[in-house]
Amino acid sequence: MKPIHIEINGRAISAEVEPRQHLADFMREELLLTGTHLGCEHGVCGACTVLIDGAPARSCIAYPVALDGAKITTIEGLADDPVAARLREAFTREHGLQCGFCTPGMMMMARDIVLRRPGLDEGAIRHELAGNLCRCTGYVGIVRAIKSVAAERMGEAPVVTRGSEVAPPVYASPLALPVAPSRVAAEAAPAAPAGAQAPGAAPFVAEPLRNPVEIVEEFDVAAPRASVWELFQDPARVIACLPGARLTEPSDGRSVVAEMTVKLGPIQAAFGGTGVIAADPANWSGTIDGRGVDSRSATRVQARLNYALTETGAGAATRVRVEVAYVLQGPLAQMSRGAIARDLAARMTAAFAANLNAAIKGEAAPAEAAPLDAGSLLLAMVKGWLARLFGRG
Amino acid sequence: MKAARFDYERPADLAGALAALGQGGAKPLSGGQSLGPMLNLRLARPPLLVDVGRLAPLRQVEEGAEGTLFGAGITHAEFEDGAVPDPTPGFLARIARGIAYRAVRNRGTMGGSLAHADPAADWPTTLAALGARVHLAGPSGTRELPVEDFILGAFETALQDGEIVTGIFVPRCSAGARFGYRKSCRKVGEFAEAMCAVLADPARGVHRLVIGATEARQIVIADAAAATSDPATLDDALRAAGLAADPASLRLRQAVIRQAVAALEDESLSA
Ligand SMILES: Cc1cc2nc3c(=O)[nH]c(=O)nc-3n(C[C@H](O)[C@H](O)[C@H](O)COP(=O)(O)OP(=O)(O)OC[C@H]3O[C@@H](n4cnc5c(N)ncnc54)[C@H](O)[C@@H]3O)c2cc1C
Ligand code: FES
Ligand code: FES
Repeated sequence: MKPIHIEINGRAISAEVEPRQHLADFMREELLLTGTHLGCEHGVCGACTVLIDGAPARSCIAYPVALDGAKITTIEGLADDPVAARLREAFTREHGLQCGFCTPGMMMMARDIVLRRPGLDEGAIRHELAGNLCRCTGYVGIVRAIKSVAAERMGEAPVVTRGSEVAPPVYASPLALPVAPSRVAAEAAPAAPAGAQAPGAAPFVAEPLRNPVEIVEEFDVAAPRASVWELFQDPARVIACLPGARLTEPSDGRSVVAEMTVKLGPIQAAFGGTGVIAADPANWSGTIDGRGVDSRSATRVQARLNYALTETGAGAATRVRVEVAYVLQGPLAQMSRGAIARDLAARMTAAFAANLNAAIKGEAAPAEAAPLDAGSLLLAMVKGWLARLFGRG
Repeated sequence: MKAARFDYERPADLAGALAALGQGGAKPLSGGQSLGPMLNLRLARPPLLVDVGRLAPLRQVEEGAEGTLFGAGITHAEFEDGAVPDPTPGFLARIARGIAYRAVRNRGTMGGSLAHADPAADWPTTLAALGARVHLAGPSGTRELPVEDFILGAFETALQDGEIVTGIFVPRCSAGARFGYRKSCRKVGEFAEAMCAVLADPARGVHRLVIGATEARQIVIADAAAATSDPATLDDALRAAGLAADPASLRLRQAVIRQAVAALEDESLSA
């Protein structure tokens, strides 16, 4: 817990806060200021928008611990604000709300828009409002309401607020209750070890993938096909080639229990999972089906990997083709944005191919190449979810 | 979701911040507009956040004849509103206006955006096109890198352990310099699926073109005079970067490049 002094709706508040508690939770749960709503909790929907030092900001990704000395205004704090009063009338007249969930955030943004850009037109209003989502109204009434207040202010000097330079509106609201006794967050349960949630107990049955993402990768290994094949039949050795992956239980050659840690920039995930392996020696190909869970973010992944080996270079080398299809569900999928995978996929594949080459020559895998998980998340698929790490909400 | 536990420190000066960042796993925090979502989704679980965005050197702006050094903690909104001087003929404000939403721009910073190195973000592509340099400070001293050497790939930068971005130096453009910028987003404020920035500053002999939103390292064409006269010559670069596999996305990228180049000639086309 860290001590902070913060002003909310004109009231000076001293409190001990947990660094991880975000501003919206602090205000809703400790101060019972429930006018601020929470939708997505990752900056996208705008429901939680409040004024920090007078400027609109997302309270779900601002943390009171970092706001020592700041002045916050919530929807309750706008009770007596003249511009907000005009907007309330306009929202009522134009049917600018239905369920009201988005409304506190809309009002915060609307007030900033009409102050900062008096007289702006409908196109500009829609542009400015793009970060506030409403699932009920279709926006027509909201935009009309803002337009009418913006038009009233035509010709007035813009009031631009970015932070503390311009004095924020301060109105002590009757709704702003004194601080409730701070509830100390219960001790977090110790983080479950990666793989603890792996559905290891029940025998794994591969299911068809619904709307998977598909990736195909090809690379060459400088060894005859038979020795590459031999390596592919040994899950422990294959996994050892995939950066960050390792077997968590010895494999019987038919199934694998593995985990894989991925780190990219600030994002970390540790998938634990199980897979089943099937080989088709007649065609020098095989299949690995698997599924796994990142115990930290509760993201689930389900994947199928086909590999096929063909001879190249007059039998001296082998071309490895992998086709991966995977489906992600949970926070990583929510953050996902198309195909950022490619870059990671390329880097992973390069590392995998290099490690495979080294392994075949009997050399130790390069230091970076921690074990890899062939089972649930071989190679490209690994890339796959990696990839998805990076989307945006 | 709620963030996992982390500790928080806000050192008073740069030396204190670098010392705090020396602790294992510590992460710098600026505007929190990219780190916050990752914390809440538990995609990032740093044990310690070191608040650097408001350190004095990161909030300073130094003007010189050659260009302007912006502290890493200058926000998108400060660029948008012209609250800081601009060594270009208005390019920085124009780009800032198109980043995310005002509520995000009020807190998100240029330094945080570069350090985050999202391939679809606006500053990395823009600043590479402007030939900007990143100023870094770490346990072993300070150094400078051109933006294109700083960004190594998707979410990967040249930042070493304990090192932070302190500032961004943007070279001064001549008054006649032109800038073409286009990005294609599904919705205003969403991250881009295709992006291109072109700088034409004939008085300084500078023609640079950068293709962003590549899902990897950006494509930087340092001598882009030929490419701007015939954008089709960039198809090879797109192909080499593996961006030609999906025909629809290739067409989108080509169109965005053509429009960015066209916007050089006709300022009214500028986004
Ligand atoms: C809904 C939404 C939409 C968005 N849309 C866009 C968009 O369209 N275009 C766009 O470009 N961006 C967009 N962003 C991102 C936004 O621009 C962020 O502000 C920016 O990416 C990060 O800046 P920040 O100051 O908030 O950094 P933070 O979130 O504080 O940090 C981001 C990362 O950089 C590191 N870091 C921060 N400061 C430093 C430093 N000085 N030195 C070294 N490392 C540092 C942190 O450890 C972290 O890993 C969007 C964000 C949201 C929430
Ligand atoms: S809850 Fe904060 S932006 Fe959605
Ligand atoms: S009124 Fe229901 S979300 Fe906007």
